[in-house]
Amino acid sequence: MNYPIWELYNLNSGTLVAFISTIHAYVAHLAVGGGLFLWLTDLKAVRDKNPLISAYVRKHTWFFLLLTMVFGGVSGVGIWFIIALANPAATSSLIHNFVFGWAIEWVFFIGEITALLIYHYRHDQMREKDRLRVAFLYFLFAWLSMVIINGILSFMLTPGNWLETQGFWAGFFNPSYFSSLFFRTSASIMIAGLFGYVTVVFSNDAELRKQMLRYCTKWLLYPVPLIALGAVWYYFTVPEAVRFTTFQLNAQTQFIVTAFIVTSVLIFVFGIFFSLRTTPIIQRVLIFVFILIGLGWYSSFEYIREYARKPYIIYGYMYSTSIIESDIETINKDGLLKHAKWTTVKEINNDNELEAGRELFNIQCLACHTVGGVKNDIIEKTKNLSYMGMISQLYGQGKTLDYMPKFVGTQREMEALSAFITTELAGKEKVSQLSHYEPEPVENDIPPFDMKNDEYVLLAWNDLGMHCISDCDPWFILLPPANTLEAQLIKRGELPEIINEGVEIRYRVQKGFENPAAHVDFWDYTESYFGVKLDKNVGLGGKGLEGEFDWNEDRNSFIAEMIPVVPYNDDGSFNPYPLFYVEAIDKESGEVLMTTKTVAPVSTEMGCRNCHGGGWRVNGVSGVADETAINILKVHDRLNETNLYESAAAGKPVLCQSCHADPALGAEGKEEHNNFSTAIHGWHANYMYVEGGQACTMCHPASRKGNTRCNRGIHPQAGLNCVNCHGNLIDHATGLLNAQKDKPSSQRLLRNLQGSVPEVSPRLPWIQEPDCLGCHRDFEAPQKNATSFNQWVVGFNELYRIRTDMAGVRCEACHNSTHSEYPTVNAFGKNRDNTQTMQYSGSPLPIGAENQCEICHKKKMEYSIHHPNMVRDFRNLNLVSK
Amino acid sequence: MEYQSLIPVADTIPAPSWIFIVLEQLLFLLHIILVNAVLGGALILLFKRISGKDEKNMINWQLPVAKKLPVMVALGINMAIPPLLFLQVVFGHLFYTSSVLMAVYWILIIPLLILAYYGTYIHVGKFASSPGFSKFSLFAAILIILYVGFMLVNNNSLMEQPELWTAYFENRGGTILNVSNPTFLPRYLHFITASVAVGGLLYAVVYFFKKDETEQKNEKIKDALKIFAIATSVQVVVGFWYLLAIPRDFILQFMGQNLVATVFLMLGILAGIGALVTGFLGKFKPAVVQLLITLVAMIITRHNLRMMYLSDNFQLSELKISPQYGILILFLVVLVAGLGAIAYMLKIGFNNKEGRAA
Repeated sequence: MNYPIWELYNLNSGTLVAFISTIHAYVAHLAVGGGLFLWLTDLKAVRDKNPLISAYVRKHTWFFLLLTMVFGGVSGVGIWFIIALANPAATSSLIHNFVFGWAIEWVFFIGEITALLIYHYRHDQMREKDRLRVAFLYFLFAWLSMVIINGILSFMLTPGNWLETQGFWAGFFNPSYFSSLFFRTSASIMIAGLFGYVTVVFSNDAELRKQMLRYCTKWLLYPVPLIALGAVWYYFTVPEAVRFTTFQLNAQTQFIVTAFIVTSVLIFVFGIFFSLRTTPIIQRVLIFVFILIGLGWYSSFEYIREYARKPYIIYGYMYSTSIIESDIETINKDGLLKHAKWTTVKEINNDNELEAGRELFNIQCLACHTVGGVKNDIIEKTKNLSYMGMISQLYGQGKTLDYMPKFVGTQREMEALSAFITTELAGKEKVSQLSHYEPEPVENDIPPFDMKNDEYVLLAWNDLGMHCISDCDPWFILLPPANTLEAQLIKRGELPEIINEGVEIRYRVQKGFENPAAHVDFWDYTESYFGVKLDKNVGLGGKGLEGEFDWNEDRNSFIAEMIPVVPYNDDGSFNPYPLFYVEAIDKESGEVLMTTKTVAPVSTEMGCRNCHGGGWRVNGVSGVADETAINILKVHDRLNETNLYESAAAGKPVLCQSCHADPALGAEGKEEHNNFSTAIHGWHANYMYVEGGQACTMCHPASRKGNTRCNRGIHPQAGLNCVNCHGNLIDHATGLLNAQKDKPSSQRLLRNLQGSVPEVSPRLPWIQEPDCLGCHRDFEAPQKNATSFNQWVVGFNELYRIRTDMAGVRCEACHNSTHSEYPTVNAFGKNRDNTQTMQYSGSPLPIGAENQCEICHKKKMEYSIHHPNMVRDFRNLNLVSK
Repeated sequence: MEYQSLIPVADTIPAPSWIFIVLEQLLFLLHIILVNAVLGGALILLFKRISGKDEKNMINWQLPVAKKLPVMVALGINMAIPPLLFLQVVFGHLFYTSSVLMAVYWILIIPLLILAYYGTYIHVGKFASSPGFSKFSLFAAILIILYVGFMLVNNNSLMEQPELWTAYFENRGGTILNVSNPTFLPRYLHFITASVAVGGLLYAVVYFFKKDETEQKNEKIKDALKIFAIATSVQVVVGFWYLLAIPRDFILQFMGQNLVATVFLMLGILAGIGALVTGFLGKFKPAVVQLLITLVAMIITRHNLRMMYLSDNFQLSELKISPQYGILILFLVVLVAGLGAIAYMLKIGFNNKEGRAA
């Protein structure tokens, strides 16, 4: 922000930092441990009066000088150069806070160089005693250099009290100072042993090789317990949150940890090997491999330390992006571009959006990402994200996965950055709105009803207002095709009866929807998902597209569970409201007592593609495309170390609910995981950048311009949307997460969710939903601004879709399914959902509204036993006429 | 875009700025002497090796100088650290910016310098056994050091002229240079000719301390001083060129408007002329002393010129101070102790009167 940014898209200056730093630090550790090695080996030569060892020391010094002083010395300056180019702000901060520390280190450095030059150039001209003193002073200066630089390096990871005091010593002797120093000192001794081999294997003196190989092995392996101890100590001196982020959340670290372990073992194996007798040729070849293994070992340690610091460059103070933690609030308010010095754009408009995006990219992304380069390629990382997905990514960045910094800036800036990444860098199309589909209304005959002569009223409904299925069956299913129809047959009369004996209630789907297996692959994977082999077009409850209802005493209704209907017609059209013909038949006579129709709402309009990329699976209209599904699985795999994609690709897709419990399927899941609804809402709430009902329509088929428009009851006509009942997505998710608050994953997901109310009551999905009576208190008209959000029903039996009135008639029988309460408006035909109420009352109002008691009672009644406030005029007639 | 809005906000410094400036100038003096000696010494050495034919003479009179080069490179790089460090404390916000603008060239200094460093070792190691490779190594090292100097001049001049920074918006790839600036060439040549002069003096110093009682030694010292004197003569001309290339306001300041600046520049010029005269006369010690006076005066003049350039955009008084005097004192104590230890090591390293190691 304060400095220009080196626009090194292909390589990224951070890569250069890593490259120079790891090699330098490897050699710099050799300089420290090697100092001790030279001094003690020289001492041994003197004490043992061993000319072989003396010769070795002489030779090794030259190699050591050329490597540590020339390469090590200059590459050390190189780190300084490169960090100042990659992150001038952080470098400036380190220089200004610790300038006298750096200056002291320089004194030690010049002492170190002087000692080494004298030790080498005056080696044979000095008295032994003096030479050993110089060797010791060399080691002392080299180690003191480490003492200083370790303070500054460890400060960057654990600044400790410096964050409050800004004091030199508070930062220098920080929480991980001593553990880091101990680890580094031990490691430097091991590295000295490793490099000690080099001079040995290139010696032509067999006796020297024999003596010194074992000697070097001791140097290599004796420090191993100290290193292990130091590593454990170091591990526990960094804060727990850092450890969690580094070793649990950040998948990239796993690889490095593996590399660290593998190279540790290899060092041990090579150490043993080099102490055995082998030919010099093999040793001379293998020593280079060994040095590279050592570099791998050392680099992986440094990488882990660097990754542990993410997303900061100075933990808790300054991010990798050079943005200072304490400035974030102001920047979020004013916009980043206003505060950034080196940008051409200060205010974003449509013309300069991409230019603004480039500036934002340079500031917020380029510190860690490349464009088409070797490290953290932004194109590769975002290849599965659409423009909207990119915005979501930025919105949620750093909220659940702490190794990325949060986006800093305004929403408009977030959009500009997304536009730049998706269009300019990745060459994708910028789609900023949900897809628009104009359904064609389909004719629907209303079945006959003779108010005077008919003896029965048959009411049938779908238990849910919309059954959402993901039809990407080869990859995953959120829910299987499984609509549940219910029906109540009422024998008309002054005292009507609900009939449950002597009749048979049959159903069949409308023409064109009889063969869902022709449209979805569900039946190819039922064994993998549910462990059962189902016949084509038969659902998990054993029901097909035509069949018989069963009486269910608990529900006081006939029920046909899990009918596997899908929204695809054989004629190629899409209709999420297939109709079912329902007939009540006298078992004895076979006489049809009453016929009606109901819709089985089912949609594949899943909004996954809006963010996760991909098109519609079917005819450009609906369905989850393979690309979208694969992208989702891969994200899940990356973040949770699963292998869902591989398994699905091998023909064995995994049921989400096998890990995530789900009352909708009766799945118990695994104890450590959130239930399915909580996991999916909790995760996405952190990433959803739009609010209100708009957030719901990003995923659910409720958009008013979409291909389903599932929210079709009276409520949207009265100006209400999803959030009036369910709350905002954040509130909605918070309620679910609060019910599983004891799980670490819930705590992580809740951390950045700030709801509209201080406390959202915990609730279980599918079981505790908004209570209708929360607004309609005592069945009365709602108060102004009433909401049933945060007023969950206490349990399953209290749900609107389960409850009955005082006479045993189900709420849904007269008012229809959730989200399609009479009177409804359906874009696929105005009265498609109103079929029954039009059939029995000739109006779209609820059954019995406007005192039409005669539908069942054959006459007007003076009072209602169904529920209070029933005998009255319909309140919202003005809406119906619209 | 207004370039003033690009100037980064400076960080708080831990002691008054004059402390860092004094430290920077003092240690820069040591650094530049070493670097000038290395470059100039190497140039003369290469010239002598290419033009000379007598290999025995080479080993006798050129190898001793060649052997000094790697050590001086080591010390020269080491002595670059503190001036660069203290410069970054006071001028960091300007320096980091200019470095980023020329990042590609700037970072290339590091790998090239490693090669140059090894080049000086190879030059000595292969001096007699493989003279061609040896000379090539020295040549490569010279080119690299010339490159480093070229880039340092670029960086310093970019740092001092924020008005040039808007070039970033046309070129963000870190390849901006400032070679078209009228001061650039004389400034760079000023460094090269100074190097040749100091290189001549390096020869004189090496020969002065050489254990050789023949008359040839004094001849060689005189020859070396002659190189020093000729180069210094050229330097006077280049210096005036540089002076005339800077903005008129600054010239006037050096011509009396700014008394301190004028005094130091005049002192530098006079001492320089004195050094070249004594050089021509073959007087070793007076030449050395006057050169040192010249260098001190010119380094101060360099700082004065920097502050003139920056006067519209940066004042030292803008810097906020959050003192760390305790650590400053600790640094000074460590510095004294370190110098003591170095003196001790030099003493025992070169004290071979009591016999050599077994």
